[in-house]
Amino acid sequence: MPEQIIFKREEDMPYLPITFGSMAWNKTGTWRYLRPKFENKISPCIEGCPAGQDIEGAMVLIGKGKILQAWDLFKEENPFPAVCGRVCFHPCESSCNRGEFDEAVSINALERFMADMASRHGRKPLGKREKRKEKAAIVGSGPAGLTCAYHLARLGYGVTVFEALPVLGGMLRVGIPEYRLPKKVLEEEIDQILELGVKAEVNVRLGKDFLMNDLKEYQAIFLAMGNHQSKSLGIPGEDTQGIMSGLEFLKNVNLGKAVALGKRVAVIGGGNTAIDAARSVLRLGSKPFILYRRTREEMPAFLGEILEAEEEGIEISYLVSPVRVIAENGKVSRLECLKNRLGPADEDGRRRPVEIKGSNFFLEVDQVIAAIGEEADLSPLPKKLGLKENAVLTDERGATRQKGVFAGGDIIQQPRTVVHAIGSGKRAAIFIDCFLKKKKWEGLFEAIRIGEQGTLSMKRYLQAENERASLSSKTVRLKDLNLDYFDYKKRKKMPKTQVAKRVGSFEEVNQGYAEETAVAEAKRCFNCGVCNLCDNCYIYCPDVAILKQGEDGPNVIDYDHCKGCGICVEECPRDAMVMEEERR
Amino acid sequence: MKKIMVGNHAVSWGVMLSRAEVISAYPITPQTTIVEELSVLCADGRLKAKFIPVESEHSAMACCVGAAAAGVRTFTATSGQGLALMHEMLHWASGARLPIVMATVNRALGSPWNIWGEQTDSLSQRDTGWLQLYCESNQEVLDTVIQAFKIAEEISLPVMLNLDAFFLSHTAEPVEIPEQSLVDDFLPPYQPEFRLDPKNPHSFGCMTPPEYYMEFRYKIQQSMLQGKAVAQQVDDAFGRVFGRKYGLIEPYRCEGADLILITSGAIASTARVVVDNLREKGRKVGMVKVRLFRPFPKDELLEILRQVEKVAVVDRNVSFGVGGIFAHEMRAALCNEKVRPAIFSYIAGLGGRDVTPPVLNDVIYQTYKRQEPEAQSVWVGMRS
Repeated sequence: MPEQIIFKREEDMPYLPITFGSMAWNKTGTWRYLRPKFENKISPCIEGCPAGQDIEGAMVLIGKGKILQAWDLFKEENPFPAVCGRVCFHPCESSCNRGEFDEAVSINALERFMADMASRHGRKPLGKREKRKEKAAIVGSGPAGLTCAYHLARLGYGVTVFEALPVLGGMLRVGIPEYRLPKKVLEEEIDQILELGVKAEVNVRLGKDFLMNDLKEYQAIFLAMGNHQSKSLGIPGEDTQGIMSGLEFLKNVNLGKAVALGKRVAVIGGGNTAIDAARSVLRLGSKPFILYRRTREEMPAFLGEILEAEEEGIEISYLVSPVRVIAENGKVSRLECLKNRLGPADEDGRRRPVEIKGSNFFLEVDQVIAAIGEEADLSPLPKKLGLKENAVLTDERGATRQKGVFAGGDIIQQPRTVVHAIGSGKRAAIFIDCFLKKKKWEGLFEAIRIGEQGTLSMKRYLQAENERASLSSKTVRLKDLNLDYFDYKKRKKMPKTQVAKRVGSFEEVNQGYAEETAVAEAKRCFNCGVCNLCDNCYIYCPDVAILKQGEDGPNVIDYDHCKGCGICVEECPRDAMVMEEERR
Repeated sequence: MKKIMVGNHAVSWGVMLSRAEVISAYPITPQTTIVEELSVLCADGRLKAKFIPVESEHSAMACCVGAAAAGVRTFTATSGQGLALMHEMLHWASGARLPIVMATVNRALGSPWNIWGEQTDSLSQRDTGWLQLYCESNQEVLDTVIQAFKIAEEISLPVMLNLDAFFLSHTAEPVEIPEQSLVDDFLPPYQPEFRLDPKNPHSFGCMTPPEYYMEFRYKIQQSMLQGKAVAQQVDDAFGRVFGRKYGLIEPYRCEGADLILITSGAIASTARVVVDNLREKGRKVGMVKVRLFRPFPKDELLEILRQVEKVAVVDRNVSFGVGGIFAHEMRAALCNEKVRPAIFSYIAGLGGRDVTPPVLNDVIYQTYKRQEPEAQSVWVGMRS
């Protein structure tokens, strides 16, 4: 501070009250006792995505028309955006704050849009890192196995995938019908994985063609054989000709084998396999009808699929259980059924069906497709891995009890969805990398997990510890947003093939967004918790203490002059700023 | 060049000719067309100024304070309630010694709502350290804007010029538009001694303790008093260049008068007609228009009024509990004089009511009739 001047007389004083010395020493930021801070938080969609994709980041990019860059962002975490953009049950959308405001952002449709765009442009995933000498074996080429292979290959490892079936893709290839996931779409994404140097052997089944012990040359193993064994109905006459499992039916259709169906086809079950089977039957020219033992409320199939089946005129009978198959001339002719009522809730919360005695009735059928669930065939696996209730036991890393052996997908205890399988494949790749590099993994979860509930981020894993931006553990909810800045806007609908054209054809039902629709839809995103340079802070700061740094930011705070009024934080639409106590 | 224009546009054109550099204002009837015209002049480039729209009159004055502190010529305009909202910042402008010029279109204050002419709004601001000038015609309005900037910058105090709502603001008259080059010579660019500059930061209006505060107040008072002489010099100089001058006060036919009517603003025009008629009838009546209200031109008034017995002050304003404000100021100014006229106070024309020749005749008649002034202001032109 400059030396004090004492005025002796009125005439010596200036005519206006002004300091003679420079005030440059007095940075007015010293008046502050709270300071604002830019702090990105967790968007609920990302936390809700079991594959841990940076959905919010992709929405910003699509909104700016940078669609291929958005795809890169997704591809960093998940090798299957084209697949997920078609078949994922999109828990991201259920988590979307916009859902509580008007309608969730159509993330799933946008994921497909960017994947289709990347395909049209022949975009390839970003290259891999330096080559490493260690090798990993992956058993099973479904979404879990191929995701693990993709990430390990990008981390530089030599990877070999062993597949029991003649084709790669697991359930994606043989379990999901063409009209939901065209083969060429799947093949393109699988090819991109193989192009990274992943070797694949088909027609080799664990336990039949090779054993765990044969994989000694691999330093790490990832088991992801999936649930390819159908549960049996457990009723008399089940082995009659004209009865097959849903999975077997779909597999045959998907592999292009001729499937002889009669006219009337009963599909038993309420899961996605049952719906897929019934809709495939319809496309093969027969008449399907679904029998489900509980009501629509308890159906495990995704609602969208049920709605599309209903649109297509597929009849679904609820509260019906088959009790006996009646054969004529050695071939199924009738199905004896019982009616049910709903009893008390099961351990999973769904109400249990209770048979009504004497309610028996008969249905004329030419074919029965039983789709009441699938399970894993764990017989080739040694007990020492840790097996329980038809699942392989794993720790939080996805590691089994046998050193260097990891597991994922439907054979471990987690929800049986494509996106959970992908998440488990990525997790295994990360911890196989830690295992092979003998890296400590304690504390890693906190550093690379997105939110308290969320899954792991490969992008964060690949960043050096010191370049990882600190990640808030707070997930932004609707109440955290400043809704004054958002307008109500309807969610954009995706065009679909007309129902009349769907029957008798395996043409893809969903047709995808046009580019302008996609951009508009992406702009509906609130960008919860993440600064998108909307510049509200810059506009509102009374002290001009928000400094802009070019078009791509980030905005920074001039703490020399910020007085801590908090207007920037208050007016941030998306909870990307916080106030914290001034450190003295 | 002569143009037919309303008083509000005369303000805008005066501002344009003065080459104001920052204008910040908030619209309010009856001031709106001043800033409307200014925004047009700024938009089409005839006036190269930054026009800052704001959310309130308080902010408008705050903007002017900032701009003037940064060393640019600054203007705003308001009216009635808007001026009242600006009050806090008016003190700041004078205390910070900023030569801001503001036009106030005198409007009655609510409640009850009224948008018409009355001076109570500006007179309520008489203690804020602003010079105040009251205009009679649209020509005087335009000329006074130019004079106001020169006075303000000379003594580093803000100046408010006042015009009657609708009687001047919305009434068209022929106005002579001065040559820009002459105005530029008369009013060169503003060159302040101190300038707000982020590269060389000083604290303006910093915390000033009791040991120093009073001296700053004293300097304002000195400058305000000096402002009278400066206003006179500026008016004289203006007269030499442009051929029009108005004085601090204007005596009209006061020679040998036994009664002088005192008023201000547009009422003065009516008073001239009334005085002419009475003079024709042989009455020795004169009129003084008070143009400068702050600082109060006591000496100039005394010079004229010393000779007369009776003075009738017509106020289009009221200070409740006292009465007419000009009359009150007159009494205060003259109370220490040994020889002084009796001051008769009248209140007329509040809320835009017409002050017609019969009303002024009534004022003169009553003043002649009474020996002594009433204790309180007499309200004239009332419904009866």
